[in-house]
Amino acid sequence: MYGTVVVENLTKTYYTKQRKGLFKSEPRNVEALKGVSLDVKEGEIFGLLGPNGAGKTTLIKILSTLLLPTTGSARLNGYDVVTDDNAVRATVGCMLMGDRGLYWKLTGRENLLYFGALYHYSPADRKRRAQEVIDMLDLGDLADRSVETYSSGQKMKLAFGKALINDAPLLILDEPTNTLDVPSASELRAIVRQKNQQEGKTVIYTTHIMAEAETLCERVAIIDYGQMLASGKVAELKSSLGREHVTRIAGVIPAKAVEAVKKLPAVSQATLGSVDGMAELTVMSHNGTDTLARLIETLGQVGATIQKITPQDVTLEDVFIAKTGRTLAENTAVDTGAKK
Amino acid sequence: MSAITLPNRTPGKPGPAALISAMFATVRARLLIVSRYKGQLLNEIVTPIVLAAMPILLGRATAGDRASEVFLANTGTANYVGFMLIGSAVFVIVSNAFWHVANWLRWEMETGTLESIYLTPTHRVFVAAGTGIYSTSRSTVGAFVAYLIGSAIMGINPFQGDLLIAFLFILFGLIPLFGMTLLYGALVLKLKEANAMLNLMQWVVNFLMGVFFPITVMPAAAQFIAKLFPPTWMTNGVRSAMLGVGYFFNEWYFDLAVLWFFMLAAPMLGVWAFKKVENSVRRNEGVGQF
Repeated sequence: MYGTVVVENLTKTYYTKQRKGLFKSEPRNVEALKGVSLDVKEGEIFGLLGPNGAGKTTLIKILSTLLLPTTGSARLNGYDVVTDDNAVRATVGCMLMGDRGLYWKLTGRENLLYFGALYHYSPADRKRRAQEVIDMLDLGDLADRSVETYSSGQKMKLAFGKALINDAPLLILDEPTNTLDVPSASELRAIVRQKNQQEGKTVIYTTHIMAEAETLCERVAIIDYGQMLASGKVAELKSSLGREHVTRIAGVIPAKAVEAVKKLPAVSQATLGSVDGMAELTVMSHNGTDTLARLIETLGQVGATIQKITPQDVTLEDVFIAKTGRTLAENTAVDTGAKK
Repeated sequence: MSAITLPNRTPGKPGPAALISAMFATVRARLLIVSRYKGQLLNEIVTPIVLAAMPILLGRATAGDRASEVFLANTGTANYVGFMLIGSAVFVIVSNAFWHVANWLRWEMETGTLESIYLTPTHRVFVAAGTGIYSTSRSTVGAFVAYLIGSAIMGINPFQGDLLIAFLFILFGLIPLFGMTLLYGALVLKLKEANAMLNLMQWVVNFLMGVFFPITVMPAAAQFIAKLFPPTWMTNGVRSAMLGVGYFFNEWYFDLAVLWFFMLAAPMLGVWAFKKVENSVRRNEGVGQF
């Protein structure tokens, strides 16, 4: 029971207002989740993937009891998020808002001690647990400096430490590497992996970085526009694309190239993104080599200048593109626009 | 895989000792935070002295040598300096106690730590109580020191009348204030705004509790409204105990009984309203949005 998450047909609608100038507004419903179901097993690292605005954070906030669902149910560690919310809070460790969840005027240790008290540790136990976390994360002397003097990476590390303070069997980490540089992100991922492998902690890990999910997660779910588009083992999701070939073409590529390429008979999907400031067209086709010549010809016709063509293995990003027709870099605006 | 240790045997259902411990951990955290902002206590000591000095000097300017005589005829005490100083000192205590949940919520919303608190199994009412104990202790010490300094500057004896009864009125008056502050905090949680209401209510509170004048000089309807407000009984109780201006029900224990009633009713109403709003907010945009 502990370390499990069962979500059934979860929906969440925000009732908000569309501002019309200074004094006027119209009621508006925003459906952030539309019947999401998932099942996380004890001891696994489960990735929740999707672009910004897809509904990941809403789902995480419901799972961590910050929001109430509109309909549906969710049970964490066997406790219902609506009726047993305090039991959920006591048995889940959360890192949701990064370094903003910390008191910057307090030291790292004082933060850990305070949150230890809010998790109902006795004074002696909270001291012991805070020291354990400090040692575990190798915070050393940093623990006794005020948080405002920390670097971004150090703050995120402490925020992660705060999620560990109640030694919960289930960790919910919402974009924990968001503001981190590459070495710090890698270090944090290593700690997450270690907590999972050595202590058996179940981890729900949200990210919009597909490469991160591929290296860390056993199973992932892709969420977009408030819906679960796909869910399964990383390898299974990649192989679900079947005999698809992925070709990335970098250069000066006009937007109209996407539609032109999509008209080619063997092409199943095409999206335009950018990498390091250069346009990159990702094309999925049933027969990569045979299509390549027609692809180059079509791009030439729409005025594209090709600088690099790279045939690639299927990645999770490609799975996302195949399911949504968009790259992860494009934000999702979850909005039905429906009026009350 | 190693065995998992759970933090509680009954998760999310702490005993009273754990809740009290969490409450005092909040007091400690607040004290640590304020200790890192220098000069705040000094501000709180200066405020009631300045607040009282203005009407005292105005009284001297308008009534001249007859100020005490005129004041005695209207209030039952000639000690108008003590009257104003006590009013200002109690106002500072009431003011801080009254706004503390709202201020605390806004501060936590803006710094981003409110959601962190909501992620823990300690109910927010206990965290609010912790901030209340901290805020009230701080303002009570500040108001007392201000009263002593103000008395020395204005040349009056600060220790007169029945100090124990005065202390009882302050003590009994603070608990209904916690209920009221939760009501006000619930409003801030919903509206995500504190300053405009605070600016308005600051003057309403000031007026209703009779900081600079006895409420007996108000029109009958205003007196009735003022008497529904616990700080009015608190201020009048302290003044009556120390300066002999007269209790509303003639005897101190009757007035204290009224505060006792407020002490029971106001926190219950406050906790109920706060939980209600909290659930409504969680049903929609959540507590962290501001």
